[in-house]
Amino acid sequence: MTQSNGGARPRLDRTAIAVENLTKLFPKPGRDGAFTVLEGISITVEEGAFVSIVGPSGCGKSTLLNVIAGIETSDGGSVRLAPRAARANAEPRIGYVFQSPRLLNWLTVEDNIRFVLEAQNVPRSSWPELVRRNLALVGLAGQERNYPLNLSGGMQQRVAIARALAIEPDILLMDEPFSHLDAITARKMRFDLMEILARAKPTILFVTHDLAEAVFLSDRIYMMTTRPARIFKRVSIDLPRPRQPEDDRIFELEKTLMRDFFSVVEAGA
Amino acid sequence: MESRTRSLALRVGSILLLLLLWWVAAQLVQDGDILPGPGAIARAMVADLSTPDPEGRSPFFDIGITLVRIFATFSAAMLLGIGIGLAMGLSRLVERSLLAVTPLLLTMPTILMVFLAVMWFGYGETGGLLAVLVVVTPYVAVNIHEGAKAMDPSLIEMAATFNAGHGLCLRKIYLPQLMPYIFAAFRYAFGVTWKIVALAETFGLKHGIGYMFFFWFEQFDMRQVLAWIIMFVAMMLALEHGVFARLESRAFAWRASAGR
Repeated sequence: MTQSNGGARPRLDRTAIAVENLTKLFPKPGRDGAFTVLEGISITVEEGAFVSIVGPSGCGKSTLLNVIAGIETSDGGSVRLAPRAARANAEPRIGYVFQSPRLLNWLTVEDNIRFVLEAQNVPRSSWPELVRRNLALVGLAGQERNYPLNLSGGMQQRVAIARALAIEPDILLMDEPFSHLDAITARKMRFDLMEILARAKPTILFVTHDLAEAVFLSDRIYMMTTRPARIFKRVSIDLPRPRQPEDDRIFELEKTLMRDFFSVVEAGA
Repeated sequence: MESRTRSLALRVGSILLLLLLWWVAAQLVQDGDILPGPGAIARAMVADLSTPDPEGRSPFFDIGITLVRIFATFSAAMLLGIGIGLAMGLSRLVERSLLAVTPLLLTMPTILMVFLAVMWFGYGETGGLLAVLVVVTPYVAVNIHEGAKAMDPSLIEMAATFNAGHGLCLRKIYLPQLMPYIFAAFRYAFGVTWKIVALAETFGLKHGIGYMFFFWFEQFDMRQVLAWIIMFVAMMLALEHGVFARLESRAFAWRASAGR
């Protein structure tokens, strides 16, 4: 499996996500006025690309994803999403993988996936195949009738990934999906994610506080500071795929970017 | 499995102990008009179930009509209460306007409600049954409202990101999370319903088990009053443990399977 790890991702120049000058305010608790959570955020993600946003915890990364997903409003700027070329005239489909699995524990694994298929009005006749294929893709074939609470944390997160992929998303938003897992499980999951995405091929916007993770996974990284969250650096990661997590070039890049980050934080303080 | 047989043995044991105490007490009192023994009551039950009631109908008609009244009012109160409680949980406006009213209804003594209902609607079905609705519905609604407040917002957010509609959320997210609250309300509502129905039958209605209590109370026949009360309570306990407990363990199968 090590050899196939992802392969080259297609580089097309169609823009899938275009965020321009996005601003988001939160009301101050108990007082008048507001503070700025996101300030002038601009991000471009090409179709089929894997782009990460890296920033410290609590900097507003999740808020940014929620605005892009359309479940939170913005206070300025714009977000444009495009479906993949093959379904150019349709509404873009968005899959979301959260920090915690957010499964419906009273439903079987299979019914959890059916839930989003029903939500997206996917024709019922294609459900069995979508459930089967996506569970197999995340390595959970045979777990259809099991309940989430019988699965380990890593397996639950795999179900959440299968659920997001089952709707065949044009855009997959991932919010620190491995941060709740132990280091070994997380490493395996990152590795498998590359495999999975090589086959499912959605556009990915991935949020993390883990620079090494971002460097290993991404085609491009946006680095964010906190209070308010601003993008201060955009880095292309041109390492060839398949990548190895222990590759020295990944360590080197991580070190350089970490230094950049602290120089910005110290300049701001 | 072992713990189940154990708990069954405990239950049977405690009932036998109670019967024994009763028998001893009856032996000490030595007066069948004040405290008849278990044997006398059992004979009275057999007699009751094999002779027509004072109106000339089968005693099973009285039992049946009481059960129908209990189930009709109980289901109506549950459905109404769940609907109102959910609405309170989902809408601020409904929540604020109803929170002012529910304490009033909850503090109203049950027996007064029955009297009021009888005075307004007369000695008919409507009065007694409305009393149940007025007493039970607010309790169910308040319980469901608590459940609605305790729902996990992260799951609702998840549903929103996948564009899940209201109907789907109701079936797969809201109701399953409300199940523990629905069962708690269910237990209470059932207990209160059968007490009020028995009360309403005693005071206002023709036919039914409560009517039989009252009939034998007027004759001052302790044996018959006790016989009917025991039959009634036994029936309610059988329903509670036989039907509801089974429904509950089925509804929570997903928890039990999680290695507990």
